[in-house]
Amino acid sequence: MQTLRVNGYDIAYLEVGHGPPLVCVHGTLGDFRTWSAVMGPLSKTRRVIAPSLRHFFPEHWNGVGDDYLMSQHVDDTIGFIAQIDPGPVDLMGHSRGGHIAFRVAQQRPDLLRKLVLLEPGGDLDASLSPTAETSPLASLAGRTAITARKIAAGDIDGALQNFFDGIDGDGAWARLPAAAQQQLRDNIFTLVGQVDEKRAPYSKADAQAIRTPTLFIGGAASKGSLPALLPILAAEVPGARTAMIAGAGHWMFDQAPQAFCDIVLEFLAA
Amino acid sequence: MQTLHVNNYDMAYLDIGRGSPLVCVHGSLCDFRIWSVLLGPLARRHRVIALSLRHFFPAYWDGVGDTYSIAQHVDDVIGFIERLDGGPVDLMGHSRGGHIAFRVAGRRPDLLRKLILAEPGGELDGSLDPDYKPGPSPLAARFAASAEKIAAGDIDGGLEYFMDALEGPGAWRRLPVTSKQQLRDNAMTLIGQVRDRRPPFSKADTDAIRNPTLFIGGANTKGLLPKVLRTLAAHVAGSEIAMIPNTTHPMFEQAPQKYCEIVLDFLARPSSTFGVPPGET
Repeated sequence: MQTLRVNGYDIAYLEVGHGPPLVCVHGTLGDFRTWSAVMGPLSKTRRVIAPSLRHFFPEHWNGVGDDYLMSQHVDDTIGFIAQIDPGPVDLMGHSRGGHIAFRVAQQRPDLLRKLVLLEPGGDLDASLSPTAETSPLASLAGRTAITARKIAAGDIDGALQNFFDGIDGDGAWARLPAAAQQQLRDNIFTLVGQVDEKRAPYSKADAQAIRTPTLFIGGAASKGSLPALLPILAAEVPGARTAMIAGAGHWMFDQAPQAFCDIVLEFLAA
Repeated sequence: MQTLHVNNYDMAYLDIGRGSPLVCVHGSLCDFRIWSVLLGPLARRHRVIALSLRHFFPAYWDGVGDTYSIAQHVDDVIGFIERLDGGPVDLMGHSRGGHIAFRVAGRRPDLLRKLILAEPGGELDGSLDPDYKPGPSPLAARFAASAEKIAAGDIDGGLEYFMDALEGPGAWRRLPVTSKQQLRDNAMTLIGQVRDRRPPFSKADTDAIRNPTLFIGGANTKGLLPKVLRTLAAHVAGSEIAMIPNTTHPMFEQAPQKYCEIVLDFLARPSSTFGVPPGET
């Protein structure tokens, strides 16, 4: 694969198409392949660049080390984007990758043109959440710890089911096509790192500091806590737009690739 | 993407992992992405090279010209392996890509180590099939109608007509959304495909295969594909067959772990013992 050397690590990436650069950051258990279904329509008018974050496939990580951190992935994404010529770039992130993209926009708005956040993951601090106990992602963090224990015990598919059902509802893992299950399996050890990744919650000041034109995209049928977070963040990011995709869940770009690409391309062209 | 310049065309490919090279050739309406699901397990032991044939995504072909054919794609794969310049490779092809891999092996066994054919597409001539009737495939008219719809801009209509002709009514509707999108990205290649007159497989063709060969099938695949697989396997000297239970034509997407086990086991065995009858080793 093609790679860029960033912070002492070779970041593998797939690059398809010509036009203004659009960098796509995958989420938990994803990698550059996450974007396969939207690669076609997007690359007709964009240079689509899909990196695999540190320790995700094509690396086969063993879960050992202390550099699977939210801050590391944010630094890596900044270092990666800074090498793309010509800049600035459009940046799109899904789920945990949406969290990363949000933090990149906070720290380095000079590197970005537009920002697309697909059900970004994370927690809300007291300035955004009226009661700390109802913080949307508290339950997900607990699930990640249980998942990591199952991985350590060698129960890979049990771990994946536990984690996946926590995001998209009971039975979601079992319903997933075998092909999608295998890609998540390839990244299973990243969940071990994720238990202690030190992800700070979003604050009102964080959201209000975003200067990049921002589009939030959600799946209208998305379950669990992630859809609750989206409108709270979107309300505080200046001038942000929101698009909800009917009938789609958390993996809305896999579930409705044509509608998804129409929305993204229209936002990027405007 | 990475590309190799072959026969005046930039062939895009994905190159993952280290080890002995395994070149993967996709089938009709697909591209390098069709192998995504296998990359994890296979790239642990091999350098996996998944190419996109001429005119497939990431290219967006306009359907014009005579450079979409089995003959062209066979020339291109031969040129691609030569340009890789890493010695003999293992070659794996699915469906129409299996047809191409078979033809490559027939012409250039020196470029290959082992050959894996996952339900290769094509017809059998009279030397392999006593029921052979010369003339166009009974599906040719429907395929031509699919291509006409696509040329007229009705991409989904054309693909539905094609898939349903191939795999029965409702096949297109039942496809996962992500698979549909990949077919859409390659829809224009059908225009070239209906023009192509690929020759059927013959006894002389199977006799010419010298590389250790594994055929893989889906146990529930219907139609001509299983018949072609069993017939070719019966005639390719020393070849093996692995049928994967509860799967159909896209067997590696339906059972990726089982498929990878079969492939890795076949590739790991020493070539020298391949095809030698028991008692002679």
